[in-house]
Amino acid sequence: MNAVEVVNVTKSYGTHVAVEDLTLHVPQGTVYGFIGPNGSGKTTTLRMIMNILYPDRGQISVLGASLSRMVVDRVGYMPEERGIYRRMRVGELLEFFGRLKGLERPTPVVKVWLKRFGLAEWYDKKVETLSKGMSQKIQFIATVVARPELVLLDEPFTGLDPVNADVVREAILDLRSKGTTVIFSTHDMAMAERMCDFIFMIFRGRKVLDGTLASIQDAYGMDTVRVRTERGLSVLEGLPGVEKVTDFGGLQELRLLPGADYHSVLEAMVARTRVRSFDVVKPSLHEIFVRIAGPQAEEAGHA
Amino acid sequence: MRKALVLAGREYLASVRTKGFIIGLIIAPVMMSGSLIVFLLFKDRVDTADKRIVIVDRAGGIASWVIGAAERRNATETIDTATGQKVKPRYAIVEEPSAADRRQQLLDLSARVERGDIHAFIVIGSAVLHPENMGEEGRIAYHARNAAVDDARRWFFGPLNDRIKQSRLQEAGIDPSRMPDLFWNAAVEPFGLVTRDESGAVGKERRSSEAEALLAPIVTMLLMLLMIMMSVPGLLNSMMEEKTQRIAEVLLSSMTPFEMMTGKLIGGVAVSLTSATIYLVGAVLVLQSLALSGHLPLQALLWFPVYMLLAVVMYGAMALALGATCSEPKDAQSLTFPVILPIMLPMFFYVLVAREPGGTFATWMSLIPFFTPLLMTLRLATPETVPWWQPVVGLAGLAGFTYLFVFLGARIFRIGILVQGTPPKLSRIVEWMIRG
Repeated sequence: MNAVEVVNVTKSYGTHVAVEDLTLHVPQGTVYGFIGPNGSGKTTTLRMIMNILYPDRGQISVLGASLSRMVVDRVGYMPEERGIYRRMRVGELLEFFGRLKGLERPTPVVKVWLKRFGLAEWYDKKVETLSKGMSQKIQFIATVVARPELVLLDEPFTGLDPVNADVVREAILDLRSKGTTVIFSTHDMAMAERMCDFIFMIFRGRKVLDGTLASIQDAYGMDTVRVRTERGLSVLEGLPGVEKVTDFGGLQELRLLPGADYHSVLEAMVARTRVRSFDVVKPSLHEIFVRIAGPQAEEAGHA
Repeated sequence: MRKALVLAGREYLASVRTKGFIIGLIIAPVMMSGSLIVFLLFKDRVDTADKRIVIVDRAGGIASWVIGAAERRNATETIDTATGQKVKPRYAIVEEPSAADRRQQLLDLSARVERGDIHAFIVIGSAVLHPENMGEEGRIAYHARNAAVDDARRWFFGPLNDRIKQSRLQEAGIDPSRMPDLFWNAAVEPFGLVTRDESGAVGKERRSSEAEALLAPIVTMLLMLLMIMMSVPGLLNSMMEEKTQRIAEVLLSSMTPFEMMTGKLIGGVAVSLTSATIYLVGAVLVLQSLALSGHLPLQALLWFPVYMLLAVVMYGAMALALGATCSEPKDAQSLTFPVILPIMLPMFFYVLVAREPGGTFATWMSLIPFFTPLLMTLRLATPETVPWWQPVVGLAGLAGFTYLFVFLGARIFRIGILVQGTPPKLSRIVEWMIRG
């Protein structure tokens, strides 16, 4: 069964089409990543799934029910622009959101989550005294405190340091292991690659990717080579069969032209310098994202 | 409804737990009855500096009488016998003869007032005993920097007229010692209507007082205004805050816009009820301790919570709807006035209603739903009996308008809460209201 079904949904703001004819099936118990450039329609899609925005056309069902009958208590939502009552105490705030979602005695659950996130001693402190990272963790707890079956997180890792990002990541994966379906949007491609069972990319309101990471990468083929050479970037210019070279300092990534033979590329490279490593790989999600939404794609789109 | 109550609980606690609420409980009535309190505090704080006043008696025989009256006053009224402190100024009255050039004399005396040599001067016209058709000579002129509100001018009225009456009696050949009896003013005393008591006997009429006739109704009406003002602008601000700080979106993921609005309204009503209970219980206890519980406007107090509840819901729904259209705090500032205006409008004409609570103007005004909470409460608090059907009709109108405001407010709220980045425009608000 799918936790979320989006069928032929379109949403416009005036003349601007934010989401166009979108169809999406989010299987239950999976982690589904929404990626896409800013303003591409991720947040609008999440808001429509939450019934905060109403689609102009199409149908959406959540946990087997249409939006009008959706039981919001079974769904947790953390918006991108996170609002929080700054003058409330941490415990009070989380208990309020727990009660709002139907928990009758939220205090023990709140304390467990605060302890897990290393914030137990902040229970009685005012929210306004928390750091930005702490506030973000509190907002995450507020979203999941009532053990929802579906969680929607709009850019949950933005603004978190690596330690806190790991804490949130582990919490998300733990929720998934207990059967919760998690949908989150992110600009962190590496995080999406590591966490998501399925990845969905929206660009200019249209779905451009949807599937497992492997299936998406397969669609792009083995056209990427990561190399380390003694003379670095300077010897890679003008190599036959190479469409694009991306420099990462100690490592360069080559995108081969369609039909190019990587043996020929290797031979040409060896003729110029000593090659320390030569790995033929599938393109990373980052690379795929840039191919779809990078400046070249933008130019092609405008042409 | 459960979610609305959870939100209402948060809203209520967030309001009543603040120092601002507690300070507001104390400050608000002080501010609203400020002029009365200042008057009571400072009513005895008069300027006690002696006042030198020149009197020019063109009629003759009046000045000396007034000087004598002033000396008696200085001896008996200017010192508080209990404390020995001077509580009023002494009047040092000096008679000066009328000059040949009368205009020049007025100018010279005015110059002396300007210099501070004298406080004022009085010119008694030569024909003041029989002033009819005598123009300037038939009048008494008091000249001072601020003559119209000068306490001394008011004092002169008594002795001057006493002397004039005395002279007229002498001319008529009547013994002036009869003057107090001849000119004893008969007071028209205020009494309420006579009714039968519980045993069926004709009851004793009750003397009515200004406190009962005006003070109690006005205080009751101001209390209603205070209760509305303690919650409605707060609802506008809290809604605006939740909208601009993006808390609304989090709440909307857990509840419908209508539940959210309902919760906030219930919270606002609870805040007003708390304040009203504190004030009303306080007022009852104070009046009882002063043995003034007879002044309690019981009929008004019975209707008070009902009208207050509906008024807070009606105006609160409007405030929340408009607050939901704000994207920035400055938007809310510009909307505060239209929210407060209908609440404050009765303040411009409540005096007319208080003076004739049974009149046509008062009746019709108090039946206009926007004005019913304040003006019907005011009328009910007066000693005049309001026909039973009028508060009921007022309630029905108010309830109808409250429903309409909640209905239309919810339509604006539902859309406005999600619109970001654009300031609220009246045309768009009306469109949301009509189309939903």
